[in-house]
Amino acid sequence: MLFNSIDFAVFLPIVFILYWFVINKNLRWQNFLIVVASYLFYGWWDWRFLSLILFSTLVDYTIGVLLDDEENKTKRKLLLWISILVNLGLLGFFKYYNFFLDNFVNAFSFFGYKINAQGLNIVLPVGISFYTFQTLSYTIDVYKKKLQPTKDFIAFAAFVSFFPQLVAGPIERATHLLPQFLKKRIFDYDKAVDGLRQMLWGFFKKIVIADNAAQLANEIFNNSSNYSGSTLFLGALFFTFQIYGDFSGYSDIAIGTSRLFGFDLKKNFNFPYFSRDIAEFWRRWHISLSTWFRDYLYIPLGGSRGGVWMKIRNTFIIFIVSGFWHGANWTFIFWGLLNAIYFLPLLLLNKNRINTNTIAEGRYFPSVKEFIQMSVTFGLTVLAWVFFRAENINHAFNYLSTIFSRSLFTFPNFPKMGDALKTIILIIIFILIEWFGREEEYAIAKIGNGWNRVYRWVWYSFIIFLIMFYMKTTETPFIYFQF
Amino acid sequence: MKDIKKFIKNTLLFIPFTVSMYIIFILFFGQVLPQFLKPNVNYRIGSYGHMYSRIKEIKKFKNIDLLFLGSSHSYRGFDTRIFEKYGCKSFNLGSSGQTPIQTEVLLDRYLDSLNPKIVVFEVSPMLFSSDGVESSLDLIANDKNDLLTVTKLIKWNNIKTINTAIIGFWRDYMGLNADFVEEKKKGNDYYVSGGFVEKKLKFYKPEPIDKHEINIKDDQFKAFKNCINKIKKRNIKLILVQVPITKNLYNSYTNTQYFDDSISKYGNYYNFNKLLNVQDTIHFSDSHHLNQLGVEFFDKEAVKLLNLKNCKTK
Repeated sequence: MLFNSIDFAVFLPIVFILYWFVINKNLRWQNFLIVVASYLFYGWWDWRFLSLILFSTLVDYTIGVLLDDEENKTKRKLLLWISILVNLGLLGFFKYYNFFLDNFVNAFSFFGYKINAQGLNIVLPVGISFYTFQTLSYTIDVYKKKLQPTKDFIAFAAFVSFFPQLVAGPIERATHLLPQFLKKRIFDYDKAVDGLRQMLWGFFKKIVIADNAAQLANEIFNNSSNYSGSTLFLGALFFTFQIYGDFSGYSDIAIGTSRLFGFDLKKNFNFPYFSRDIAEFWRRWHISLSTWFRDYLYIPLGGSRGGVWMKIRNTFIIFIVSGFWHGANWTFIFWGLLNAIYFLPLLLLNKNRINTNTIAEGRYFPSVKEFIQMSVTFGLTVLAWVFFRAENINHAFNYLSTIFSRSLFTFPNFPKMGDALKTIILIIIFILIEWFGREEEYAIAKIGNGWNRVYRWVWYSFIIFLIMFYMKTTETPFIYFQF
Repeated sequence: MKDIKKFIKNTLLFIPFTVSMYIIFILFFGQVLPQFLKPNVNYRIGSYGHMYSRIKEIKKFKNIDLLFLGSSHSYRGFDTRIFEKYGCKSFNLGSSGQTPIQTEVLLDRYLDSLNPKIVVFEVSPMLFSSDGVESSLDLIANDKNDLLTVTKLIKWNNIKTINTAIIGFWRDYMGLNADFVEEKKKGNDYYVSGGFVEKKLKFYKPEPIDKHEINIKDDQFKAFKNCINKIKKRNIKLILVQVPITKNLYNSYTNTQYFDDSISKYGNYYNFNKLLNVQDTIHFSDSHHLNQLGVEFFDKEAVKLLNLKNCKTK
């Protein structure tokens, strides 16, 4: 089920009313309703893949319980590895099987050996990269004794399948989310209203910014050989805002929806395009994934504790794995590699943690230095996104070589210039709202606070109007569903 | 419990408030912004196809012999003057991109007052595969808006038609279109009383067209069947016609037989692409519209083949 669908508009109020009015006095029933609603939400897309979620839930629940009773280190390690192999095995099969097979065949062909191997027609289950990482975090934390395993299967199943964040995150840590399923939730009016407001902003980002930018980015990327460098640069800019609006919009809707049910999810985006260097960008972009890799990969590999080479090696590993997590394509690996290269000078100069506060904190405008830093970082990000969006590595390099040709200095021209102008205006308005709200949880969190109710409602109605006024007439899936 | 009741109460109050504000915003921004900044509003009175003129004079036509329905293939293909010569008082109720969904609306509104003896219903593969939004917008801007519009808006469930209808209702209610006059001659088009639009003579230059399949949309086919029922219920003679298109375009469809088989079950069906030898470079102005030479040739043949002389119903 898509957040931006009529189905969800019907589904959400029904679940909300059942949750707070019918079974509000019984925690277990509330959790059970969340499981049922989540399975329905997921099964709306393809019910067959519910078995994978259930399987992953059963495996990690059982391993958690067994780890609790087990003190023998070898056996504990064995249990942990079973969980890792099952979860990554599922992910590996559904997401990477054909990629490895193709590359294996290609590698042998390169050396003159012909191998006849047919790829499988595998459908990638939506959200598999998200929920497998979430359940893995549970088992690893239980193994490390950071978390007491739960004996409540329903609560655990609700934690794994919680519908707001099931298919595209934020990837929650068991230490943060699971305890919330184990204690009674009390309806908080302000929290629910804030949740609705965050959902509203998420819908704006997705429907107004991402979907409009997507149409133009698709046109330019799909026909890139026909266009000038300036048009291709424009296309890369559109994709930059498409992916941000799409993914951070999803996160806002997920966080907002969770708040309606009394849950707090972790912030997943913190105004990443206002970063002053790449390190800051990665502290602000897809935070739940970056911190997952930091805690469960970078630190176990030795983190920053070793020498310079160790730091460099670990940084490259984490970026390349992060790229590969996004999809079974060399473009994603290259995208990760490129970000590691961007990161390297900061690491070597030990400047990767200098920008930890918000840019121009307490001021309306950035200084000239901050503006230049922000623009350079943004520019580097835009170029990296070309690899993320391109069909293959060749396409990405051809795209970039056209951008860096003389035609960059011509006026952009493609058949949808009218739409492009409209979308640029919308993006400028969006950037301004995000800029002035950058110190808040989400951009419009404080707009309207302290206003008379009528004015506040006019403001919300205006955002709803913009959504309906600029929405595409067909529902567009979220990009991160494919990961 | 107090908090949640307050939440529900405020949410229920907010809904009518935001609907009202939405209408106000649409009425303001939908009329002041340039078209490229309002993609989900398209209110264009007197737009392409002369629908405004057609609707304006429809009241003058009662108890006619022949009613033509369909898209621009119809209003550019059936010249009412030619049928008049053969003794048929006719009216052409075609409109741009008119799909069966809009035809159904027009039949509900005008079939009883026109009271035709024969209906010639133009069917074209491209209309059955269209969502029909553009044609709905044409109707909203150029025809009246009433309760039927509201019921159809709910059924169509398209934001562009809803936004445009809000403006349509407002302009109708305020009488803002009362002074509007549509010119008979617009660009290369000339409106002929009775609904036909004659285009300045132009010839088609063939270009390669990729092969493609005809896909009949379920909602269009359902509306088509509804139209058939409405016509048959009134004992009106029905003729289903596929107006000729260029061979270049017709041959690009890979499954024409499927379309013919689907349509022919519902009445006397004539596919003029198979019945008439029209020439792409002589009889057409573009890939799917006859020019005036083609219209005269086609209409005369149609009178013969459909046995329409003096509009006999037997």
